[in-house]
Amino acid sequence: MTAEPQRPPARAERFLAAALGESVYRDDIVGDLHEAYASVAERHSIFYARWWYRLHALRLAARYAVRLRPTVKRGHAMDRFAMDLRYALRSLVKRPLMAASVVVTLALAIGANAAVFGMVDALLLRPFPMRDVDRIVMPVQTSPTGIGRRETLSPADFLDWRRDLAGGAIEHLSAFEWWDVNLVGRDEPERVLGFFVSHEFFTALAAQPALGRTLRPEDEIIGNHTRVILSDGLWKRRFGADPAIVGKPIVVDEGQWIVVGVMPPGFDFPMRSEMWAPLAFDERTSKSRSSRYLTAIGRLADGRSAADAQAQLTIISERLAREYPETNRQRAAKVYTLSGGMIDIGLPPILSLWQAAGLFVLLIACANIANLLLARGAERERDVAIRLALGSNRGRIVRESLLESGLLALAAVPFALGVAWAFLHLMRAFMPGRIMRFIAGWDQLAVDGRMLAATLALGVIAAVAFGMMPAVQMVRGHLSDGLKTDGRSGVGPRRQRLRRVLVVCEIALALPLLVAAMLSITSVRRYLTDWQGYDPEHVLTLRVVLPAARYPDAASRRRFITAALDELNAVSSVREAAIGNILPALDSNAVRRIEIGGQPPPDPANPPAVDYRAVSPAYFSVLSMPMLAGRAFTNGDQPGAEPVAIVSQSMARKFWPDGGAIGGRVRIGQGEWLTVVGICGDVIHDWFDSRNVPTLYRPIAQAPVDAFAVAARTPGDPRAIVDDVRRALARVNATQPVFDIMTMRQMLSEKTIGLQYVAGVMAAFAGLALLLAVLGLYAVMTYLVTQRVREIGVRIALGATAADVTRLTLAQAARLTAAGVGIGLVLALALGRAMEAGLLGVVSTDVRISAALALMLGITALAASYLPARRAAAVDPIVALRSE
Amino acid sequence: MSGEVYVGELEHQLLLIVLHLGGDAYANPIREMLASAAGRPLARGALYTALERLELKGCLRSTLGESLRERGGRPRRYFTVTPAGLRALRQSRRVLLGLWKGLESKLEPS
Repeated sequence: MTAEPQRPPARAERFLAAALGESVYRDDIVGDLHEAYASVAERHSIFYARWWYRLHALRLAARYAVRLRPTVKRGHAMDRFAMDLRYALRSLVKRPLMAASVVVTLALAIGANAAVFGMVDALLLRPFPMRDVDRIVMPVQTSPTGIGRRETLSPADFLDWRRDLAGGAIEHLSAFEWWDVNLVGRDEPERVLGFFVSHEFFTALAAQPALGRTLRPEDEIIGNHTRVILSDGLWKRRFGADPAIVGKPIVVDEGQWIVVGVMPPGFDFPMRSEMWAPLAFDERTSKSRSSRYLTAIGRLADGRSAADAQAQLTIISERLAREYPETNRQRAAKVYTLSGGMIDIGLPPILSLWQAAGLFVLLIACANIANLLLARGAERERDVAIRLALGSNRGRIVRESLLESGLLALAAVPFALGVAWAFLHLMRAFMPGRIMRFIAGWDQLAVDGRMLAATLALGVIAAVAFGMMPAVQMVRGHLSDGLKTDGRSGVGPRRQRLRRVLVVCEIALALPLLVAAMLSITSVRRYLTDWQGYDPEHVLTLRVVLPAARYPDAASRRRFITAALDELNAVSSVREAAIGNILPALDSNAVRRIEIGGQPPPDPANPPAVDYRAVSPAYFSVLSMPMLAGRAFTNGDQPGAEPVAIVSQSMARKFWPDGGAIGGRVRIGQGEWLTVVGICGDVIHDWFDSRNVPTLYRPIAQAPVDAFAVAARTPGDPRAIVDDVRRALARVNATQPVFDIMTMRQMLSEKTIGLQYVAGVMAAFAGLALLLAVLGLYAVMTYLVTQRVREIGVRIALGATAADVTRLTLAQAARLTAAGVGIGLVLALALGRAMEAGLLGVVSTDVRISAALALMLGITALAASYLPARRAAAVDPIVALRSE
Repeated sequence: MSGEVYVGELEHQLLLIVLHLGGDAYANPIREMLASAAGRPLARGALYTALERLELKGCLRSTLGESLRERGGRPRRYFTVTPAGLRALRQSRRVLLGLWKGLESKLEPS
């Protein structure tokens, strides 16, 4: 025998002590069993005693575990959760219709919000897919007199920046410049968007070629510079993915360029570029500080911040301003991130507007669902009251109810993702590719992991938002109230009030959305259909850029233009054709500084600027622009003849306020003096920022340009003459590509595409909001009528007519609607103001629109209440009274 | 105490056993006596629950004795019947006796 044979199994004893936990009797129980073990061991074998002990320990532990359940934490909390979950699921399955309507409502509202999140994410947060995109910066120049906030750089300034920044805060500083090229060879000539870039451009973006190499410093030397790198897309489309393309020459703008590399798929910075060539400066250009056309980009050096870069550039800019006061006085520098620098400044306000609208829709949806759940809560009031009376705690009932909301939200998430997918799909499908390239990230709009996370988060937030109110409502107040009800008609006035408040909120939120949508739609309509100074119907437009290699001088360009017009006018389906450097509604513009004869400029350093157009004689008649005085251009306005000009009405008024524009003289910069021979009508070149801007027209024969647009008027559908026009131009030069072939209507439409998107999305959101709000009002009115059946029965029994009862119900609905519309009008005014400010004055608040929509909403709401009102009027008093 | 305390049959028996055991009334002998006298083997857990309930009702009071080696260094909890417990016993006895009156002849084993 050992020293102490009576000791029970130690592990079992520890287990028992642990199982007894905080029990007051723990030590006694363990002690008692210990003592009893000794006597069992004396009477039986040790083996028997040990098993006897284990069995008893287990039984005691089990008994106390059951008794102590409420204070035991983890495992049992899970059990309870599973039980609550089962309960919640069961109660949802019992009401499939309600569950389905909640899921659909939520899916639409959350889906809309998820889609807007997706857009913000793709367009604002990470529009560029490059590695370490946060380290890529865009240093820009700023100038107080400049038109934009971000000014481009002159070659000399860029070279100075690059030299001075070497080894500093920004490494691989590079510049790029737009390079539209005509690609000739194998297939029909094509216009391709490319960029001239500094040799470190690819290094700055951390991009590696898929074939060959990128650029080297020696490529920037004139003479060596005819090297080109292709994008993956262009390489496949135009060169059949030729693996031996590197080292071969291709014909670009009539010149021979050697392909040195091909970039991998997905690399198309900036603006879906398809070709990159070295940015080479000749001696004269590299000293120029007055013409600014370069965009700079670089990478922050390791361990250096954007603030370091900003500080360094500020010092450089100050030095340049001192050394070159004529060009660089008042020019400072600012460092943007890549996204910050490339982003369209119009985008953030639009996305904010959509976010606000999405939030409104979600709130309305939540109010709607809360209302539904409140109604259900009323049905369950008795049930809950009994449970509370039997000792269930309120927290648990709230938890259960929230769990139910959570399940509904979870069920809605996949559908919401579907809605978001469809929404983004539509957004992408309707955006013309020509414009999409300017919106970085647009082609990345998709449902992804981040959106899934956002959708789940939205679902949880929504579940809490719509679930909390009914849950708390259910357990508030006195038990006796709940027990007294019969589960059908029993509702406290508090709950009724809450439901009314929710409906008022829904209507109040829907109205501003309606107004915002209508404002955008009217603006779009105005921009698309209002008279803009010219007739865009039946006009086909296209663009041509003459390569400098083949058309080096004015004479050669003039020859092309004259021949092209002759060929076009010879086409039977073309009534008349014209050429101009810029067409109204084109997404580019030309501006010139001018001087008026006999009017010394008030500020010689800053002479007045006007829009500048070089046009063929038929320009005014093709576009149906009225000549208000004097004459249009004729074929006689040739070089050598008197240099002439036509001014727009606004220009005549501005510079010759007392008349006398005709015969007046004007010159561009320090050029030759032009005589004004006519005044034409104003055009709205851009609704957004240039309506009726003073414009100077010159005969294109006297000022031939190398980049211009063709406008051809036809009696029929302009799209039908595309091939005729193409062939006519090919007869002049078969290798000359034409691009952006579209009708003038299309051009106008593309120009307002942003606003059309705003209008479309707002209309969708507003429609959803209206539907939800009206459904909400309908549900509440139906509910209220059901609640008042007895009262209505008494009224009818006492002699009220059906009309009286209908009026009574409608009056109730009208009060709710009026309250909602009243609050909504205030919100609508605020939202309208915000839109006006955010969208650069594109829309303007219009009280008539607000009033009309308020009226429409009111009528719709009352119409929705009419059905419940009729049902109220049809109440049979005997049935109603007996039903109690 | 505001009102009378009622005790059930098991509680009645337990109180009587505690009185019988006097100063030696702790769980193990109580359980043994219940088993031998009442012929009623009670699960340990149920015994503790009953004792706890009686303590809560104020019928029993418990005190801890000294730590004992044979109990692995744990003390015994000794129970004594409180005045309230005695009142409850008397009351219960009175009720039972009152109910028994006149029934002796019927229930005597024949």
